[in-house]
Amino acid sequence: MKTPAVIKLVTAGAKDRKQFVAGSAVALIAAAFLLMLPGFAGHATISLFSRIFILAVFGMSYDILRGFTGVINLGHAVFFGSGTYLAGILFLRLDPTPGTLLLAVIVTVVYCSAAAFIMGKIAFRGGGVIACAMITLALGEIVRHLAETWRDVTMGADGLTFPIPYMFRDRLLFYYYALLFLILMVIVLRRFVLSPTGRVLLAIRENEQRAIFLGYNTTTYKMISLQVGGISAGLSGVMFALLTRFANTELLTIQQTLNALLVTIVGGTGTLYGAIVGTAFVQLIQHYLLTLRDVHPVFTRWLLFFGSIYILVVLYMPAGIVGAYRQLADLLSSRNKKKIA
Amino acid sequence: MDVFVMLLVNGLAEGALIFLMAAGLSVILGLMGIVNFSHGTMFLWGGYVSVWMYTKTGSFSLSLLLAMVVGFLMGLIFERFFIRPVYGKVTAQILITLGLMIVFTELVRVLWGPTPLAAVRPPHLAGTWVMGSIIISKYRVFLIVIGIVVALGIHALITRTRIGMIIRAGVQSPEMVQALGIDIRRYFSLVFAGGAALAAVGGALYVPLVGSVWSGMGISNQVLAFIVVVIGGMGSFIGSAVGSIFLGLTGALVAWYFPPAAGVVSVLLMALVLAFRPTGLFGLAVKS
Amino acid sequence: MKPVLKLENISSFIGPFHILQGVSLEVRPGEAVVVLGRNGAGKTTTLRSIMGLVKPAAGVLELEDQSLFGLPSHKIARLGLGYVPEDYGIFNLLSVEENLRLAAWRQDNATKERQEYILQLFPDLKAAYRRLASTLSGGQRQMLSIGRALLNENKVILIDEPSKGLAPIVVEKVCKALLEVKKNTNIILVEQNFNLACAVGDRFYILNDGRTVLDGGIASLAKDRELQKRYLGVVA
Repeated sequence: MKTPAVIKLVTAGAKDRKQFVAGSAVALIAAAFLLMLPGFAGHATISLFSRIFILAVFGMSYDILRGFTGVINLGHAVFFGSGTYLAGILFLRLDPTPGTLLLAVIVTVVYCSAAAFIMGKIAFRGGGVIACAMITLALGEIVRHLAETWRDVTMGADGLTFPIPYMFRDRLLFYYYALLFLILMVIVLRRFVLSPTGRVLLAIRENEQRAIFLGYNTTTYKMISLQVGGISAGLSGVMFALLTRFANTELLTIQQTLNALLVTIVGGTGTLYGAIVGTAFVQLIQHYLLTLRDVHPVFTRWLLFFGSIYILVVLYMPAGIVGAYRQLADLLSSRNKKKIA
Repeated sequence: MDVFVMLLVNGLAEGALIFLMAAGLSVILGLMGIVNFSHGTMFLWGGYVSVWMYTKTGSFSLSLLLAMVVGFLMGLIFERFFIRPVYGKVTAQILITLGLMIVFTELVRVLWGPTPLAAVRPPHLAGTWVMGSIIISKYRVFLIVIGIVVALGIHALITRTRIGMIIRAGVQSPEMVQALGIDIRRYFSLVFAGGAALAAVGGALYVPLVGSVWSGMGISNQVLAFIVVVIGGMGSFIGSAVGSIFLGLTGALVAWYFPPAAGVVSVLLMALVLAFRPTGLFGLAVKS
Repeated sequence: MKPVLKLENISSFIGPFHILQGVSLEVRPGEAVVVLGRNGAGKTTTLRSIMGLVKPAAGVLELEDQSLFGLPSHKIARLGLGYVPEDYGIFNLLSVEENLRLAAWRQDNATKERQEYILQLFPDLKAAYRRLASTLSGGQRQMLSIGRALLNENKVILIDEPSKGLAPIVVEKVCKALLEVKKNTNIILVEQNFNLACAVGDRFYILNDGRTVLDGGIASLAKDRELQKRYLGVVA
């Protein structure tokens, strides 16, 4: 009686293994390329890629919510910006040492965990995606407002410049730290989405009502998702502090949240890797458009392009780059199968 | 006593402005089941075009009219080309209206520059009335009157007219309205554009109150309107009216007695209401 | 005789599910047709497909010589189809009078006459004329819903399970009303209550798994116990 299921499992494993091999090959090539990149790339490119690595983690943290749970959190920048601010404030008030960095990481984790708890308690109460989006937008804007008014600590709209530990000041070395950070976070978040908890989150995204009928307390799972997403975003914020050595309230705005949202939808939601592809794509485009500023001043208006990409992607490419790639791969493989038949 | 009157006037005027935004949001949410995240952008455009018109012509009524027309047209275009393709897809609606918010906020910066512009109150509405120790700003009283007129107008529209009948029916079941031979999409466009026009007028009225217009004012006022809609009960028109007054008055009180909390009081209120009544004060089930 | 309404091999999806896989039926002038079948056979989806509330994927759908295929619901309704859904589709925030006024295509004398006639047919509605529809009982809602469909010169009225959830005495009232309605209009009646179906219907169609499997005169069905058991699960 059990055999068919086992066979199914084994064959499924074989397909997975094939995908795994292909995926590993791509990952290895990418890793080799990224490891050697500093050998032939200039200073600016190295910084750009460090930035991409860190923001990709921010994007992935958003994908945990949007892509894997179906929650639209419009206050997600709170976690990211707070990470940057907390690290900056601690470096400024204490010594910029690795010890302080460790402290900053701990404080950020605790803070983001608490913030995610409060945010979730309020936002998941009203019920529905719409209510959640409206409430998180309001919460995020209030935190930004607070940061702007609390000038003693945050320096308000002027922004906060701070020193960082000596060992992170070398751009080349930091490139590798950022890459390592990305790889670590990919491993951790991948394990999370493949865990039983991650599976429940997917079920909630597909059909929350059904997940409730199956006996899951979906609010609890959404809270867990917000914890994971929030803490990851906070950590990427800390790394961002090391990269830019500067924090301002821009980091807490809805725009910052939308940056993460855009990279996940451009790359493909619910894929984790999509956030990386999307971040690279968006950052490279932004970088390239800025080089065109001598051609026409409109190219300095990044947000016009940003918003337009946004609308176009939602209207015409809802599955994103990774999604489109997968569809194409499926199409090709099914065509091959037909040929064999 | 004089402080009380002043706070009352300030709070009600504030509430009237929030109401102009929240009313549209709420009716759109109730009828169409969608939230317009670019609603604050209409408010913003209303503010800018009215200032532009006022400096050109010096006529306050003309600048209000222009704001209304621009808001209405933007609403029509947004609905037709960006909302309609994604009807029924909640997430896509949120994302697309956010995209519109970004583009049209940036356009304001392109057209009028990134720095705030000064806005003045028209001479006949500037100044104050002094009664003993009580000083009342004429413009704030004007805002309260406008708020009341608009509220009564919308109420009459909803209870007395055929459009209102269709809105009330559509809140319950747009499908059944269609099955009766009524093209409800036309009314969707109309209500969406009407809400946008109200928001734009709100922006045009807000600007002379605070004395300037800047590109960030859309989002901050949209946040207040969202909070009102959540407090009042999503989709309830009465709820949005009561919620606006409630928020306006508390805001004025807190700003007077405990200024540091002014930024967070609205959110605290929202959290409190949600804690005890998750569906809002005048809870109405929202279409999912 | 040329049918008023004709469905041929209608196929409809709801989401990924292929609900209707070939429904054919026709309504001839002056006739009331009953659609029978077990739960989930596709009866409601058939009515919704006719109204365009579910977009049929394939097949022929014609009202007299006009194809309804792919038309938006409101246009289909205006061509002369009245719809009385299972949950009555009454608007709670409107009064009885407003519910009727909303449905009326025109405010001419003919409409006024028909409204008078409806209020005579359903005296309950006359009594509750100014009240909010949310205060009506289930039976009153059913009458309002049927009345609303009679307000315009509809060619066919689609009625979905009018007896469902109503007390026997109310069902009797509904039955009387339907017989009255039948005098002027064609009816497609989806019904589980076999007695009501027999009283009102002239011919029947049986749906099973989204297909028309059988049709005939209602009298032949009334006699055939075996058939009733097989498709309807009726043990009457």
